[in-house]
Amino acid sequence: MELSRKDFLKASAGAVGLLLLQPPTLALAKESQTQEGVAMLVDVTKCVSCWWCYAACKNYNNLPETIKPDPEQPPPLSPDVWTTLHPVKKGDGWVSRKQACNHCTDAACVEVCPTGALSYNEMGFVQYDKDKCSGCGYCVEFCPFGVPQLEGNKITGVAVMDKCTFCQDRVANGEQPACAAACPTGAIKFGKRTELVQEGRERVDALRPSNASAMLYGDKELGGLHVMYVLDDAPEVYGLPADPEVPAPVMVRDVLKWVGVGAAVAVVAGFGLNYIVAREAKMTAELPGEEYIRKRKDEKGK
Amino acid sequence: MTEPRVVERFKKRTVWFHWIHTAAFLVLVVTGAILFFPGIGGAAAGGLTRFIHRIAVVFFVGVPIVYFIINPKMSFHFIKETLTWGKGDMDWAQAAPLYYFGGDEENMPPQGHVNTGQKMWQFVVLATGVLFVISGFFMWFLKDALSPGVFQWCVILHDIAFLLAFLMLLVHIYLGVIHPRMTESLRSMWDGKVSKKYARSHYGKWYDEVAEGKK
Ligand code: HEM
Ligand code: HEM
Ligand code: SF4
Ligand code: SF4
Repeated sequence: MELSRKDFLKASAGAVGLLLLQPPTLALAKESQTQEGVAMLVDVTKCVSCWWCYAACKNYNNLPETIKPDPEQPPPLSPDVWTTLHPVKKGDGWVSRKQACNHCTDAACVEVCPTGALSYNEMGFVQYDKDKCSGCGYCVEFCPFGVPQLEGNKITGVAVMDKCTFCQDRVANGEQPACAAACPTGAIKFGKRTELVQEGRERVDALRPSNASAMLYGDKELGGLHVMYVLDDAPEVYGLPADPEVPAPVMVRDVLKWVGVGAAVAVVAGFGLNYIVAREAKMTAELPGEEYIRKRKDEKGK
Repeated sequence: MTEPRVVERFKKRTVWFHWIHTAAFLVLVVTGAILFFPGIGGAAAGGLTRFIHRIAVVFFVGVPIVYFIINPKMSFHFIKETLTWGKGDMDWAQAAPLYYFGGDEENMPPQGHVNTGQKMWQFVVLATGVLFVISGFFMWFLKDALSPGVFQWCVILHDIAFLLAFLMLLVHIYLGVIHPRMTESLRSMWDGKVSKKYARSHYGKWYDEVAEGKK
């Protein structure tokens, strides 16, 4: 079944309509703060590659709309595309993994961001404040999944980073993220992370008998992702690194930072000490001993 | 009584070079440190300091090139001086603590045009300059072409160069401006000259050569 451009736009509008009907889940957001926070569970076996999540994301976040993408040429993440699909050809059809920020618990992007523009939200996902962004692009280069996007002036370097926000304002208001609300098959589920881990495991157990490579991705990776995946194949097939890690230079840079602070303090303290000692020695050398002592006494007397 | 300052240590153009380059360097230190040191990164919001970093880079790289074109001989001499190390430098290192703290001039062997400590600074400036240029240009112009791994290690290279250069710069400024015995240092970097007395006590070997008319 091929959807035309018109159908697709209608579908996006429909998705928004659907969003408005979502039951409030405010209680969930509140409660989750004391747990491991909120999360999404993406089940590739339920995804029908309809691209509604993609459309709903664009619609809700006021990103320029497009026609329904061709799975042969899926749009890569960009400042205008915060979620997309990673389609994989299986047999005659397509199976897709929804691709966006995974909202890591140990997030390399947060660790390297010099300005504090990226930070951990207390509900578990990784938020960012565009006004604080310096456009340095460190998050772009350090994220193990290549998620953050930034296009700006290549010479001046002026740019602002964009990525999935986990629909922070919606979630704070007790609603689901737009993509989860739009998904017609339940392939994107939003909820408490602990519960979704449980659900993911049960789903994998159900798939295992017929598929030995079924797995839950993201329950342990990088301290636990806040977007987890039920996969029916190896992670690489779906464009996910099998063993994602915070890149080693992140730690090296953290150590260097504090070495720098410590060394600068030590060096300046050394100057103070040196100045006192060297000045004293100079004065002693310039005046004959007794005279120097007399001078010191005079100075004290004043 | 102030001694007449008659011995030329630096040429006028070298003095100009030093201060223009210093201005660029200080701007780089400040705009770079904002991204590096914890807690002050907010100053980079909007990217203005990063843009200023790039403007300063043009001077940081351009000014030495211009100086080199005008003064190839002196530039080569500077590089050679910086890379020439010998037993005299060990002797300096042995005498240095008592010299810089206690002011024990007896045991400090006479120094050449620059002493070992200054040579160390020159070496750090040259070596970190190379590190800065390579890692910085990679991060600036080759961001899209490089794998993320290369970019990441370029940041680390830039950080290491920064730490070396920044800490040595603090020492350089302290010795040139504040240390009680470097009485004529700052003025020598202003009009290029020092007194005979200062030249003799600080750069004895060099002073003898100058006095003999060898240079
Ligand atoms: C050829 C010279 C240089 C070039 C091309 C250069 C370029 C860069 C670039 C591209 C960045 C990454 C951030 C951004 O995109 O704005 C950066 C960061 C930085 N630069 Fe430079 N720079 C140079 C020299 C210097 C010098 C001389 C210093 C200080 C003495 C310096 C200190 C720093 C620091 C501390 C950072 C932050 C590194 C971090 O976040 O860990 N840079 N520079
Ligand atoms: C506020 C910053 C600085 C001050 C106050 C300062 C001061 C001085 C002074 C007083 C001298 C003359 C030393 C003497 O022969 O008695 C000097 C020399 C020199 N300066 Fe600077 N300087 C500064 C920054 C820099 C920077 C940023 C660089 C290089 C990137 C630099 C490189 C040199 C070199 C290579 C020499 C000659 C060798 C030496 O004396 O160490 N200076 N500077
Ligand atoms: S996926 Fe990348 S951008 Fe998202 S939280 Fe993890 S490190 Fe940050
Ligand atoms: S581009 Fe912006 S959000 Fe990303 S690390 Fe730099 S300052 Fe932080």
